[in-house]
Amino acid sequence: MDILLRQVRIIDPSSPFHQQQIDILIQNGKIGQIGTIDSPASKEIHIEGLHVSTGWVDVYANFCDPGLEYKETLESGAQAAAAGGYTDVMVLPNTSPVLHNKSGIEYIVQKGKSLPVTIHPIGAITKNAEGKELAEMYDMHESGAVAFSDGTNTIQSSGILLKALQYLKAIDKTVIQVPDDKAISATGLMNEGIESTRLGLPGKPAIAEELMVQRDIELAKYTNSKIHLTGISTLKSIDLIRAAKKEGIAVTCSVTPYHICFCDEDMAQYDTNLKVNPPLRTRADMEAVREGLQDGSVDCIATHHLPQDRDHKLLEFEYADYGMTGLETCFAAIHSCMPELSLEKLVMLLSSNPRRIFDLEMNSIDINAIASFTLFLPEQKWIVKKLETKSKNSPFVGKELTGKAIGIINKDKLFLNEY
Amino acid sequence: MALSTRHLLGIKDLTPADISLLLDTAKQFKEVLQRPIKKVPSLRDVTIVNLFYENSTRTRISFELAEKRLSADTINFSASGSSVSKGETLLDTVNNILSMKVDMVVMRHSASGAPHFLAKHIPASIINAGDGINEHPTQALLDAFSIIEKFGTLNGTRVAIIGDIMHSRVAQSNIYLLTKMGAEVVVCGPPTLIPKYIDQAFNVRVEYNLTKALEWCDVANVLRIQLERQNQVLFSSLREYSLVYGINKRILDSLEKKITIMHPGPINRGVELDSDVADSDQSIILQQVENGVAVRMAVLYLLAGDRNSS
Repeated sequence: MDILLRQVRIIDPSSPFHQQQIDILIQNGKIGQIGTIDSPASKEIHIEGLHVSTGWVDVYANFCDPGLEYKETLESGAQAAAAGGYTDVMVLPNTSPVLHNKSGIEYIVQKGKSLPVTIHPIGAITKNAEGKELAEMYDMHESGAVAFSDGTNTIQSSGILLKALQYLKAIDKTVIQVPDDKAISATGLMNEGIESTRLGLPGKPAIAEELMVQRDIELAKYTNSKIHLTGISTLKSIDLIRAAKKEGIAVTCSVTPYHICFCDEDMAQYDTNLKVNPPLRTRADMEAVREGLQDGSVDCIATHHLPQDRDHKLLEFEYADYGMTGLETCFAAIHSCMPELSLEKLVMLLSSNPRRIFDLEMNSIDINAIASFTLFLPEQKWIVKKLETKSKNSPFVGKELTGKAIGIINKDKLFLNEY
Repeated sequence: MALSTRHLLGIKDLTPADISLLLDTAKQFKEVLQRPIKKVPSLRDVTIVNLFYENSTRTRISFELAEKRLSADTINFSASGSSVSKGETLLDTVNNILSMKVDMVVMRHSASGAPHFLAKHIPASIINAGDGINEHPTQALLDAFSIIEKFGTLNGTRVAIIGDIMHSRVAQSNIYLLTKMGAEVVVCGPPTLIPKYIDQAFNVRVEYNLTKALEWCDVANVLRIQLERQNQVLFSSLREYSLVYGINKRILDSLEKKITIMHPGPINRGVELDSDVADSDQSIILQQVENGVAVRMAVLYLLAGDRNSS
């Protein structure tokens, strides 16, 4: 199919057409022409203010499939991702059963083939993600696992993590960790601080995260292996990572949209949609996360998309499950909360950085390149209503946001939202 | 005069004017309770459900008595032996009860914020009878009422709250109320049982030494040590706790002034309070219980009044 994008602004620093407003003709999944194009195409798109960038990547999403299909399936997750402007999603192994062997990874890869979005499975580091015995990571890599993580089950044992980091050096793959010392944070329900004290909720101290950041950096240094810390939420954690990078340690990190947009002061109404892990921290922590995005200490955005059906959220705060959905609102939320973050930087955080860190295909917007784009309208105001994800646990529902992903071009197909 | 709120979720949401109104109204009800006929018709045709998801003796009886003295119709519900044990959610349970035309809900629940959750989703007035480690507003009101009876005012009165501050909704509500009304507050207990940020969250001072706290205060509000917390490695043993933080007659007699002892009950005799302290003339523990009924009548009356006017 030929697709002609009329008068789109290209945001791609690696492209010779960066920042130009121009026509792009896509033929058979590749870019045929860029410039002023007179000839008509079978499908033409002309939307005022349309921007295009290399396809966005989410490095940490839960699609709950297999096993928890009442929350999300690969199909509904992929629809949500495409609606949110993602061409690529790395999905977590915390399914039922856990993605901890070849057959689990192959299931994801096979099912992913027919979906509009490219799905990259993350394999579990340990069997059943229990943090005890190493899983068959080489075999999973052969089948298509792009990185390894026990996901929501942070590896507690330093010994196991050390071995995992060493083991993965043979295939040059990265460990992903959510730093959280459960011996300290286990009984907590939100960030420990002034707000948790006033709300009478047990706290998770920031130090539970910071100690693990410190430990994981030391282990990465000792093993000379690659670690990616995700869900970074405290000022001290950002400082530790910044310093480690200066030292040349192979540590990278990502933050969630909710740690950019919310802090613990927003929890006064016990809103279970804001019950997330790592928890929303203080205002100062939120500012530090934003600063990290600006100065490059933070490498990418990870949605931590975690769908929960209504019955697991419409409960007393203590009994509600953790998590919020994020794929469809990620760009809009960040662009609304941090309008000062340039589009160029945002595209780097959403696309080029994660592609570099996890060795995913990088296609510059240039003639003959494979067409894998995100289409978005940075100035579009919209109210979050209909979501493609199966679960609706988002604090943004009903809110007005500025900036909207309107679709993707991927796998020689166009996926276009209502806009 | 009316309250600024249609629920009593916590002292946190009350203004000083609300607190004064509640305490003044409670005083009138206390007079009513001295009469030969203690029953008034104020809440006739108001139906109240007492929803107890956690065990309670004092609070539950006190609420029930208050409701009966006001001529309300009451239903009692406890989680054990109900459909809650069959897995019914809080919202389903309450909606089922409300569909039988109930006007007010008095609820005790082990999860902090549970009454706030209900208030968002159902139309009835909610009265928090204790939620998790968050608040127990009627206890704070009856404690304040009892202090005023003894000292005439809260303003400038020095109150030491002693024990497991971290897991105590009584401490939390007392701190909100006392600091709003101008009392001075010290919290005292082992550091593992005191929230790290308490002195930043509230206008209170932290004191780890029991004798110093007692020497400073006019009133010691002594909290129950919750035996069920022991498995969390928060203190070594009840024996050691009572040696260091238990109040006995010897300590009381060594103080320069006669301080007043309060306790929300139930007492672990020989742990946080020795019997000769609990039963001494310095203790107003039974007056607290008596005042509880008047205070709860005031709460129900004022919130139902709001219901009638709306």
